[in-house]
Amino acid sequence: MTLVYATIWGAVVLFGVTAVAALAWAVSRGQMQDPADGARSIFDDEEPVGVMTDRFPGDRR
Amino acid sequence: MTAATAAAGETAEIVQRAEIDRSCRVPVLAFLASAVFWLLVGTVLALLTSISMHSPHLLPAWSWLTFGRIRPAHLNTVIYGWASMAGIGVVLWLEARLCRVRLPGQGVLVAAVAVWNVAVAAGTWDILAGRGTSVEWLEFPYHWSFFFAACFVVITVVSLVMFSRRRVSHIYVSQWYLFGSVLWFPFLYLMATTLIHGGIARGVTQAAANWWFAHNVLGLWLTPVGLAAVYYLLPKVLGKPIYSYHLSLLGFWTLALFYNWAGTHHLIGGPIPAWLVTVGIVGSVMMFIPVSTVALNHHLTMRGSFARLKDSPTLRFTVIGAMSYTLVSFQGSLTALRSVNEVVHFTHYTIAHAHLGVVAFFSMVMFGAVYYIAPRLTGREWASARLIKVHFWAAAVGMALYWAPLTWGGIRQGMLMNRADVAFLDVVSYTVPFLWTRTASGILLALGHVAFGVLVWRMLRREGGGRVGPTLFTTPDTDREVRS
Repeated sequence: MTLVYATIWGAVVLFGVTAVAALAWAVSRGQMQDPADGARSIFDDEEPVGVMTDRFPGDRR
Repeated sequence: MTAATAAAGETAEIVQRAEIDRSCRVPVLAFLASAVFWLLVGTVLALLTSISMHSPHLLPAWSWLTFGRIRPAHLNTVIYGWASMAGIGVVLWLEARLCRVRLPGQGVLVAAVAVWNVAVAAGTWDILAGRGTSVEWLEFPYHWSFFFAACFVVITVVSLVMFSRRRVSHIYVSQWYLFGSVLWFPFLYLMATTLIHGGIARGVTQAAANWWFAHNVLGLWLTPVGLAAVYYLLPKVLGKPIYSYHLSLLGFWTLALFYNWAGTHHLIGGPIPAWLVTVGIVGSVMMFIPVSTVALNHHLTMRGSFARLKDSPTLRFTVIGAMSYTLVSFQGSLTALRSVNEVVHFTHYTIAHAHLGVVAFFSMVMFGAVYYIAPRLTGREWASARLIKVHFWAAAVGMALYWAPLTWGGIRQGMLMNRADVAFLDVVSYTVPFLWTRTASGILLALGHVAFGVLVWRMLRREGGGRVGPTLFTTPDTDREVRS
């Protein structure tokens, strides 16, 4: 039973600490700055902002 | 930059994205194809389950067709077969795209597909044979858990390897959601299986552990995968960045903070400590915050572009999925209030709510994702725009027909049950017409799933036209060829 409690509490601490650490890491690495950059990071020269990348098949538009 | 170097840079982008997509082809298609297979199996089981409620005499008197077996068989095939396998396929592709690296470990991932399929098939067989555990969402006999756990170790390791090799400096919001889901789900599953099947959580404690697990499968596995897909596909299809990136990060962290507590809202009024239930209710209501940020963000990104819905299959499914997420979550937060729960608990309202989440939100988003991903992996277009439209409308109308009557009927059912002067069997008779509308809606949903299955089958056989456009895993020259 002690093992069960240890596992549960251990998991709580581990996940809690990991979450806080991840948040702190993100802030320290500047992940939270530049929201415009972040939002644009999935675009590039071949699939730029302003161009749709999906259409129905056979649609030549 | 000269024209030549600019062109070379563009070519490098295409090749890089094409290489990433090519590396995903076999494992991701294997997961997605398997998922679609289980969707169809799960849909048949769903129809049988629905029919067994209002017309059991129509079904042969076989033990495996009884509600107690066929319903958990349906539940487990759609959650562990369809939803989880589609989710994993989408997770792997999204992670490869976001990290801009090739998908590693292809052999072991394909092995994982095979093992996962065997576990779902064998577990479902066990349920139909009467060996289900009767623990909701954990009905597979627990020895199959090791199979799922082993597969998931592979998924998590592959995810971590890709992340460590990433070639982007910014970690996009979808990546946060994906990491969350890939780390949370195995923990949930192992913990719940150990506590419940290991006999540690017994009696009432088992119920608490059960619903902690089951709700978190929705909140910390399906939801983050669905939201990651929407956050990537919506802007990608439109060519518009997410409206407020800050808001999207706030949404992720508040989801991570609040969602986990909500599980005991399944046990309101039950024999567990009141404070434990209250914690669940508070967590559920706090979910208004992340859900509102997500809704606002998606709407403001779409604003001015709703006309584009007629142009893109992925957009249609993704937008309707995202809207359903908002609806089902707001509904969920309100349902957690004791005064509401008093009426709707143990009624068909709850089933309608559950399907709004898993079908109208998660499945629709997965459909949109498959419509986007598969052509990029096979180099082929979908074979028929008409079939896609059939799928969409069957799914949308089917879901509306599923949800509205059952919700209304469920609320009325609950109000009647709370009246001491109304006999229980009278209440049951009252609900029967709504069970018929459910079956009717199920037939419509099934039609959509069959259309989808046909499309996926033809895509795997590469029957569509050749893809025209920049994203392809062959060189830019050959992608201009179109099969007439």
